[in-house]
Amino acid sequence: LKWILRHTSSRCTYFFLYDGSKVKGEGDRTREGICYFYPEETPLDRQELLCGQLAGVGRCVSELSFSPVRILRLRRNKFAIRMKDDFFWALGCSVEVPIVSVCELLDQLIDLFCFYNGSVRQSYQLSSQEFLAARWARYLSHLQSGSSELHHIFSCLRTIDSTNVDPLLLLKAALILQACQRCPLVLAGCILFRGRVVSTQMCPELTMKVMVHESETYTKTPAAHCSSGPFGGAVSSVTVFLTLSELQYLQSAPVNKHLSSESTPQKETPRRKTRLSRTLSDMPSTDSDPSDRGSLQSPQLESFSPQLSDSSVFSPVPSHSATDPLHPPTQPLQPPFSNGKHSSEAEDEALEEPSYYHSFHSNGGDSQTDASVFEENCQVLNGGGDGGGDGGGDGGAACGTVFDFREAANDESHDGKEDGCRSAPEPPRPPHCGAFDDPEQSQLVPMTLYLHRVKGLVLALLVEPLFLSDTASMEEVYHSSLASLNGLEAHLRTVAPGAPGAPGPYVFAHFDHIQSTLTTNLSGGPGGAPERPFVRATSLLHSHFCNTETLQEAIIRSAGAAVYGTRSVAQETYFQQHGGSFRNSGIPNHQDSAFSLPGKARHRLLKHGVNLL
Amino acid sequence: MKCLLIASESAEVLFHWTDPEYQQHIQEQYGASQEEGQGLPAFEDSISTLFAPIIISCSTMVDRLGDSYTSFTTENNHIYVLHQFDECLYIAVNGDGEEGEDDLRRKTYVMKKMIEVLFGMVTLSSYLLRRELRPQDTDQRARLWKHLQSLLETYSHLRENDQSFLVEAVERLIHPTLCEQCIEFLERRLVQQLNSSVERAGEEVLHAFILVHTKLLAFYSSRNASTLSTSDLLTLIIMAQNMYPSDVDHDDPAPEDVESTSGSGPESFYTPEPSPTDRDSSSSEEKPVRGSTPVFEFVDPDIQMAEDSLQTLEVPPPDPSTPHRVFLEVSLKEGLYPMMPHSMYCLPLWPGITLVLLTKVPTSAVAMSVYKFLEAFAKLEKRLSEGQEGSAATRGQPTIHDVRSKLDKFIKALGPSEIQSAQLQNVWTEFKNRAFARGGPGFNRDLIPWCKNMKTQLCGIYRQCFLIESGPTDIPRRLSPGLQERAQTMVQEKLMDWKDFLLVKSKRNITMVSYLEDFPGLIHFICVDRSTGQMIAPSLSITERATSELGKGPVAQFIKRKVWDLVSTTRHYLQKGYSTVTLRDGDFYFCYFLWFENETGFKLEAGDIPVLPDDSAPIGMLAWDYYSRKLLRYYSKNHQGEVVKCYELLTVHLGVIPTEIILQHCRQLASKLWEPSRNPLL
Repeated sequence: LKWILRHTSSRCTYFFLYDGSKVKGEGDRTREGICYFYPEETPLDRQELLCGQLAGVGRCVSELSFSPVRILRLRRNKFAIRMKDDFFWALGCSVEVPIVSVCELLDQLIDLFCFYNGSVRQSYQLSSQEFLAARWARYLSHLQSGSSELHHIFSCLRTIDSTNVDPLLLLKAALILQACQRCPLVLAGCILFRGRVVSTQMCPELTMKVMVHESETYTKTPAAHCSSGPFGGAVSSVTVFLTLSELQYLQSAPVNKHLSSESTPQKETPRRKTRLSRTLSDMPSTDSDPSDRGSLQSPQLESFSPQLSDSSVFSPVPSHSATDPLHPPTQPLQPPFSNGKHSSEAEDEALEEPSYYHSFHSNGGDSQTDASVFEENCQVLNGGGDGGGDGGGDGGAACGTVFDFREAANDESHDGKEDGCRSAPEPPRPPHCGAFDDPEQSQLVPMTLYLHRVKGLVLALLVEPLFLSDTASMEEVYHSSLASLNGLEAHLRTVAPGAPGAPGPYVFAHFDHIQSTLTTNLSGGPGGAPERPFVRATSLLHSHFCNTETLQEAIIRSAGAAVYGTRSVAQETYFQQHGGSFRNSGIPNHQDSAFSLPGKARHRLLKHGVNLL
Repeated sequence: MKCLLIASESAEVLFHWTDPEYQQHIQEQYGASQEEGQGLPAFEDSISTLFAPIIISCSTMVDRLGDSYTSFTTENNHIYVLHQFDECLYIAVNGDGEEGEDDLRRKTYVMKKMIEVLFGMVTLSSYLLRRELRPQDTDQRARLWKHLQSLLETYSHLRENDQSFLVEAVERLIHPTLCEQCIEFLERRLVQQLNSSVERAGEEVLHAFILVHTKLLAFYSSRNASTLSTSDLLTLIIMAQNMYPSDVDHDDPAPEDVESTSGSGPESFYTPEPSPTDRDSSSSEEKPVRGSTPVFEFVDPDIQMAEDSLQTLEVPPPDPSTPHRVFLEVSLKEGLYPMMPHSMYCLPLWPGITLVLLTKVPTSAVAMSVYKFLEAFAKLEKRLSEGQEGSAATRGQPTIHDVRSKLDKFIKALGPSEIQSAQLQNVWTEFKNRAFARGGPGFNRDLIPWCKNMKTQLCGIYRQCFLIESGPTDIPRRLSPGLQERAQTMVQEKLMDWKDFLLVKSKRNITMVSYLEDFPGLIHFICVDRSTGQMIAPSLSITERATSELGKGPVAQFIKRKVWDLVSTTRHYLQKGYSTVTLRDGDFYFCYFLWFENETGFKLEAGDIPVLPDDSAPIGMLAWDYYSRKLLRYYSKNHQGEVVKCYELLTVHLGVIPTEIILQHCRQLASKLWEPSRNPLL
């Protein structure tokens, strides 16, 4: 692990989590507050210096401005900062990395931690600092493992090279996932092959989180994790924590996710129809389901509503119509992927006001206490095993208590979710902007991540915690997908790893915002000196695009390189033509080759599946 | 919600400026942390208390990490920019979204530039500068700060509204015949007459120029004057604007500016004390400071100043004929001398039209000597701190022995004058004992504090010579009021018939109308000649009373905003080495080009442009001349012996115009605007 960190250190120079609540009194030493510090070999006095000064100055500035510090720059480093309660996170990168990317990385890191561990405060109450330090280190190294410098700019999902794979295989993967969703306890899933996404039903942010666990198990032998059971060592599971918005998004039926043009209130859409589309088959839902859900009305739901009820009429809140008589259910429903920015803005606004909602959380957050006892474990199915390798003592204990956990979950999240599903079927905006989507802020709901590995192929499903004890469902999911997974694996294995695009007379990078995927013909490896000008220009242009909403395209030229960048709502594309003479005086000249870049990009990139028309 | 603060390393406030919103913000802040029943403390105390932790953390980071904060951004988009100049920490804050990081950094650099122009080489001694910026006497302090605050406000107003201060280049009034006549008039009639008058009291007019609002009508430099740098000229325009805020659309004509005409720095008498060698001067150190500012005063024990030489006596505001002492860069054959003393006479002709005279003061040779000595000691100190010793530390020009004999002569020459030089003499004697005596310690690290001390003493001499008004017994060294009046009348007579025309012309110097036919789709452009520091742009004044072709109201404001943003964007790209930028933004297409030519107008090949860090000095010409100091110097490496000129062009077009046409427009503008006749298309 350390090896990896050291060799990708170009992106992150420092990362630390500092707990100000531990250093309140005069005599308290700064080191008491340091929860985690990267690089770990940093001398303690330097750790103390950085933590003490940055957290101190951060607090002072926040008090002066009535708002937490977000960015802190030094001459040789820049830090993305997050301040929450008494916690102070700082992620430092060298000055070349755009600050938007550093902020994004820090948000991802914290989100990841919360996804696998639940709330930070509780994690530190329940687990040892060393144990959690290993976790931060793992997440950090995972997020930094991007192979090229472009990955420092765009945080993207690594996908299999779809141009290289038979589309039927992708369709097959999608069908496997849909088939799994026949089981009502399965929320969504994704299929990964050798650390790359083959198909996913989740938003990119969630897929990214799931992949951390996958890559971790991929590097270990499965046997170390799970003992033999009816499913062999191929199946494992781990408790994860979803934010409310993530959960709402998952629970909304896929039909709603994709048919944004649907204007009829989806409330009236018959349940059955939803089911149909989820599975792409005509199989009716089992009768037991609705009654099951009906019986699980939850009082816990109220704890969700206060934070949202007064925030905005537009925010898609599941509990509104169900629990709040003041908000009649006739309120306008936003189309999914809200066409207008209306709802997203409203939602952002709602989430931007942490201070008002904070009290609700600290009061209502108790509900998680029981659940979080189990958060650390890599659960072994069928209870026979002796716990997750890295879970230590906790792991073993957890297996025995799996049922308590499930019952707790019944009372809380499970029902809440089901209710939400029915009362407000329109899905929320996928949780795109990490900056506002503070996992500490919103409730975290425990769920289970189920993994089924077939050699290099992994089926990862987010399932209700109940799923683990529902042997029938589990067997159904396992057996229905097993053959298909084997087949898919065999096919994918034979696909030659896409040779990196031959270095052509041009370089390009194409980033898809919706899917968080990056297409590029940049070879990537370290020391790509000839590519530096392109990466540098891309980094500047990306920052500019992020900061200027109205900017559509740009050409910038230095003595060595002219780079063209263009963006739409969904994508950003960067293009540089190699060779050609850039000998020019810099005086405006319409025959200048730099100004033919847009045309060349349109033409050249078509064959990479990038349409700039 | 804007603020600018200068603090010493010990968190002592040396200057602060806040707009009313930020002042209220601070008072609310401080009020919240105060206990009930206590009245609000002095504003200076509040701001000092609130910022103290930041300032102290800054010094800690520098001391222990060798790195320093450059900026903070909060989630509600408050921006703090920090920059340390020597021992002074500048903090600029914006909380209303009107300024970006670059604007704030620029503001700190401009503030520093203005302090340099006002205090000259005193700024080279942090110890003296601290005392200069924060006079012990609270009234005097209030007056000085008010003056600086008003200069800063004038600058901010110009930067936000005047294109020439946006791009930091001087705008000339485009009227070739009149300009030529005026220059001739300044040369043949005015300057000649002034310099041959006996009433000039030893001063010599070097430069004379006529400003119409912020635009230059005519500029004349006498033959033996060095070129006035663009940076200095722009600063002088700010000062003139501050004295006579001529902007008719300025909502408040700032009546308090009458007071700010009181000139550069504190007006005070120097009171000679009979016992300058009195070492027991520490008593003045212990004077209680008014106001309960947390004082972490640190006095370098090695620096013993003749404390009483720092005592100043307040005087009532002087008459308007008193010139302003300004310190400007002088480039002579033998080298560049920064911050040489000049007197600035600002003579209002009519509201909006001002005649400015810059004179050389008779004793300016002292300043040159002081500068040479300072430079020598700074070099020596640098070498010593790099670990060099003995002859390795003293090599180079001038030789240390040369410095020694010159400094001996210099001190001797000071002796009979009323300047207190005994302290300098003492320190110099001690220095010589250590450095030159046989068997003495010689040139090693131990000499560093003595180098510092020598520098401080030299700056002290400079301060006595140029910053403190001469004592009452002295004959006033300035152009006599009568002479000033005559100059004023002469120019008034000359321009009488033109006055109204000039005032209108300055508002609509060139207009887009003249370009619409040749350049359909062109909305605006700015063209800058960086080698001369001049710019041309169609007027873009958007006010209640005057409308431009853009009309008034939101559309005009929107386009103005876009132009301002474009300048800041392209500067950012230029900082990172990009000299051509085109942007399609909303309904507009923006272009930016920077190129080089030789003297004959031949276009030189684009070369590498230095890539600068984010916190480098702002790109422009006012506070720090990026173009000559960085760009041309860098570029000229490959063009040695050649005169290299640098040009910039910014255009705004409608987005529907084909790119091809836009680029043709740009090319035409670029080649025609600076034709040898210097006459733009009209």
